Amino acid sequence: MSNPNHDRGDHFLTTPKAEPFLERLIFNNRVVILIGFLLLTAFLGYNAIKIQPDASFERMIPLEHPYIINMLDHRNDLENLGNFVRIAVETKTGDIFSAEYMETLKQITDEVFYLDGVDRSGLKTLWTSNVRWVEVTEQGFQGGTVIPDGYDGSPESLEQLRQNILRSNEVGRLVSDNFRSTIVYAPLYEKNPETGEPLDYATFSRQLEEKIRDKYREQNPNIDIHIVGFAKKVGDLIEGIGSIAWFAGITILLTTLLLFWYSRSVTGTLVPVFTSIVAVFLQLGALRLLGYGLDPYSVLVPFLVFAIGISHGVQIVNAMAVEAAKGFDAETSARLAFRALYIPGMLALISDAFGFLTLFFIEIDVIRDLAVAAGLGVAFVIITNLVLHVLIMSYLGISKGGIRHVQNHGEKQDRKWRLMSYFAHPGVAPISLLIAVIGLGLGLYYKQDLKVGDLDQGAPELRADSRYNLDNAYIINNYSTSADVLVVMVKTPEEQCTQYNVLRAMDSLQWELQNTPGVQSSASLADVSKIVTKALNEGNWKWYEISRNQTIINASIREAPTGLINTNCSLTPVLVFLEDHKAETLETVVESVEVFANANSNENHTFLLAAGNAGVEAATNEVIANAKDMMLIMVYGVVSLLCFATFRSIRAVLCIVVPLGLTSILCEAIMAVSGIGIKVATLPVIALGVGIGVDYGIYIYSKLEKYLLEGKPLQEAYFQTLLSTGKAVMFTGVTLGLGVVTWIFSPIKFQADMGFLLFFMFLWNMVGAIWLLPALARFLLKPEKMIAKARAAK
Amino acid sequence: MAIRLTCKTLGAACLGLSMAWFTPAAFALADIIETPARQTDLAPTNLLNDAVRAGDRIVAVGERGHIIYSDDGGQTWAQGSVPVAVTLTAVDFGSETHGWAVGHSGVVLHTEDAGENWSLQLTGIGASELAIASKEDQIAAMEERIEEAPESEVGDLEWALDDLFFAMENMQSDLDIGPVNPLLGVWFENDQHGFVVGAYGMILRTQDGGDTWKDWAPQIDNGQNFHLNGIARIAGGALVIVGEAGQIHVSVDGGSTWERRESPYPGSLFGVIGTGQVNEILAFGLRGNMLFSSDLGKSWRMVPNSAGATLNDGAVADDGRITLVGNGGTVLMSGNGADSFREHFRGDRAGIMSVVPVSGTNLLIVGESGVKITDARGKNLQ
Repeated sequence: MSNPNHDRGDHFLTTPKAEPFLERLIFNNRVVILIGFLLLTAFLGYNAIKIQPDASFERMIPLEHPYIINMLDHRNDLENLGNFVRIAVETKTGDIFSAEYMETLKQITDEVFYLDGVDRSGLKTLWTSNVRWVEVTEQGFQGGTVIPDGYDGSPESLEQLRQNILRSNEVGRLVSDNFRSTIVYAPLYEKNPETGEPLDYATFSRQLEEKIRDKYREQNPNIDIHIVGFAKKVGDLIEGIGSIAWFAGITILLTTLLLFWYSRSVTGTLVPVFTSIVAVFLQLGALRLLGYGLDPYSVLVPFLVFAIGISHGVQIVNAMAVEAAKGFDAETSARLAFRALYIPGMLALISDAFGFLTLFFIEIDVIRDLAVAAGLGVAFVIITNLVLHVLIMSYLGISKGGIRHVQNHGEKQDRKWRLMSYFAHPGVAPISLLIAVIGLGLGLYYKQDLKVGDLDQGAPELRADSRYNLDNAYIINNYSTSADVLVVMVKTPEEQCTQYNVLRAMDSLQWELQNTPGVQSSASLADVSKIVTKALNEGNWKWYEISRNQTIINASIREAPTGLINTNCSLTPVLVFLEDHKAETLETVVESVEVFANANSNENHTFLLAAGNAGVEAATNEVIANAKDMMLIMVYGVVSLLCFATFRSIRAVLCIVVPLGLTSILCEAIMAVSGIGIKVATLPVIALGVGIGVDYGIYIYSKLEKYLLEGKPLQEAYFQTLLSTGKAVMFTGVTLGLGVVTWIFSPIKFQADMGFLLFFMFLWNMVGAIWLLPALARFLLKPEKMIAKARAAK
Repeated sequence: MAIRLTCKTLGAACLGLSMAWFTPAAFALADIIETPARQTDLAPTNLLNDAVRAGDRIVAVGERGHIIYSDDGGQTWAQGSVPVAVTLTAVDFGSETHGWAVGHSGVVLHTEDAGENWSLQLTGIGASELAIASKEDQIAAMEERIEEAPESEVGDLEWALDDLFFAMENMQSDLDIGPVNPLLGVWFENDQHGFVVGAYGMILRTQDGGDTWKDWAPQIDNGQNFHLNGIARIAGGALVIVGEAGQIHVSVDGGSTWERRESPYPGSLFGVIGTGQVNEILAFGLRGNMLFSSDLGKSWRMVPNSAGATLNDGAVADDGRITLVGNGGTVLMSGNGADSFREHFRGDRAGIMSVVPVSGTNLLIVGESGVKITDARGKNLQ
């Protein structure tokens, strides 16, 4: 940078003539361009403010996977099978057989009954009339509601209640095994049958908190309330998105402080922050115009955009300060900084964008949305950073303090940079390479344990110690129930879904699955038929079998739950309850079903995978596992190609890409060790990490090449490189790390995982570029040949 | 009598329906009586309907063709090889090695190696054919009788003939569907002679170890074809069958002829045992009803108890204690020869189908949730 002439035409992306043209175009129309930015920002900023949170279930699943296609095809037939909330009302002392407890339960029942979205006819609690006990007598059946007639809270009626519950078969379902809690089971409407409006999960979830949990815990301090169900989970997720605002504030504050410490210049601090925030508003506004909302994944993109904006802005502030220190005025410093940085800057940003766009090959909408959001964001950073930022700075200039800081600081830090230049020393480089190889070996070793999918109990989107997951654990521990359900759909000709051979086939599948590791239990119409046939035969277990007599089958399933038969009796599900949702479990079970389905599907009954949360996860895992290698090849291919196009040297590409590869492998090893699986949330991390991480290498290599072409020996050239750009590169790493590190505190588990992994990728890619790149250069680069080649090109 | 939604009650309308349904389509899965039971670790924890001793061995049968056996008093179990996957309902051994198990689809299984390997001797199809043949004989006999009968009796006899025809048509239509009806009880005297009993009055006898069977229904006074649920031999050598709607039948000549006994209780009886004393019978069934007789069933006394739940099976230990088990985790124990019983209810409230006394006063129980080893009150030991 000491000699501006050297910064002219050394790169191949552009011709020497184009450069002054672009520079003239921008700098000769400064006012027009700034006014243009003002209008654009006002327009898109207005849209940005109106963007809505959106946690659509469908966008998080691979819509093109055959399982999901089957599921969506039969969505209407399976309605209400999965969408319900269960509210466990627990008494902290004694058991449920107290007048006080029953009174609270009654009030909660009434309250839930009137919540918008609840399918009132399906509401079940000890207080609803659809919860009954039945007993076989000599005359036939005898039964009644579980709440005894004339219940008055007296010890006698409570004793009668206890008797009725024991006879009712509800222990383990509506009543916990230890009689200390009971369930309020509320099926939900996807669409309000009166207004046709879709259920508003955020509002519904908030009402559960306010009208049920808070209200009744306050009213009766002796009870606790646990709520689980898809609607509650989605509500909690949407609420979690809200906490992002705090993270944004903290990130901006920390970044500003860091930037000021770095530049010691008010303009050099506020302008990059301002232009980066402009980029965020432009991105959000454009997203809204394109019809997107903010889901829990894409809500993180503005952080990346901000951090990328800052990190590239720093390069400009740094370059301007260096020029200004030589005595140039604000506009000339800005021009010189632009001239020096627009090639590597643009290259770095374009490779970021391409890195993101490789995510487009994963057939899951949220990941594609993430790709679009991040790609858009980077596009806006290119113009805000290289144009808006430079233009504003050309008016304001770097303050005196900032220039002094560069002058003083530069000299003071010489020794530090001198020391670090030894990374390129012929004696140190082999040691570095050895360490890298050991690191690679360890990384490959630990990465063997890397799993696909979600590995934790409960709702994987939320933290293990979140209220939701604690509630979920409570219900799993106290009731006979599993949270992981795979649904196999059995399709038959119309009105044939209850035929003997269909039930028999389902029963065979169920037994096959119950003998498959990872399966806890299963349920289907076949079980209903066996249980009721037994009941119709005076409760004698010897009759526990599917009758060959269709009349008996029909009688046995007359009262079957509606979810088990669709309206024209052409579809009936087999529900498979799993021990967990680990990828191996899902794979084994799905494999079992597929083998059975292939052998036993015929014109009378076809077995289709899959619905239920476990079915969706199995499909997602499959898509992710297939996409992973593809995505790695794409992202590394794109990055390598861009580097090759710029530097026209395979050796250069290796110097830049090998440290990235090491980081990627270490990142996977860390995932394996810390129990983070490859999933929708963590798959993009590698693409983002590589796409953004390559920036460091590009900035460092472009300088290093420049000094080598000047004829400097490698270590000296690297010293000069560090002197001019080392600080900016390190600062970039820290800024990017800061941008994502706050996510670690997100209530949403996958955001925390993403934050943790990106933090590692950003910092470690920087370390790789500063430490390993020069060591590789020592072995790979032949400066004499490079000079000869450059001369020949001229 | 409980609700019985069967072809028998619904008559001809049902016949048409079931015929329409029965189309010999290509089933992907082999029929359940042609499907061997799967070898599985789950057999001892799933539904088991009966357990008996075969010498020192204990053998238990249950759903999906499960037959398991234990040589260490129920601590560890092995699974026998069984050629069918139907729910099995009862098992009995005529000797230490020769045993028979029965179940749904009218299957009769036979082992000659104390429960390790089983072969299929009879299915509901064979049983129905035997029953239909003997109905045809009865019809022929009845027609002869009508021709020779005095005018005054002809009317009644023709009614009886109609009943026979109707019963035979029902059997025929059931058979068109397949082997629809289950066998529910089995008793063998030795490795040659035994009975199996079951739904709708089914009863078959063999005297050659199961090679050939005879329909024994005509020997039983069970005009309405009520289910026969259990059969046992009591001290003194008499055989007793109990069944639906208070059915009690006694044979004192080793099963050749049977005499119907009047029951003081009109509901279903699910099991019968001797008490160890000559000619004493203890029968039990729905809602904890328990009947005691000390004179081969000529007179009965209801044994009071407050179990309330259906009783399924009982056993007499070497020390004379009587244990009965039933639904809802019911365990009843009498130390005074069935004069009175003490009730216990297991915590899991799961139905118990059968009990075998094991070491000391401990019990081995089987039922809804598989095998459990318990103390005398039904509390789990493990």
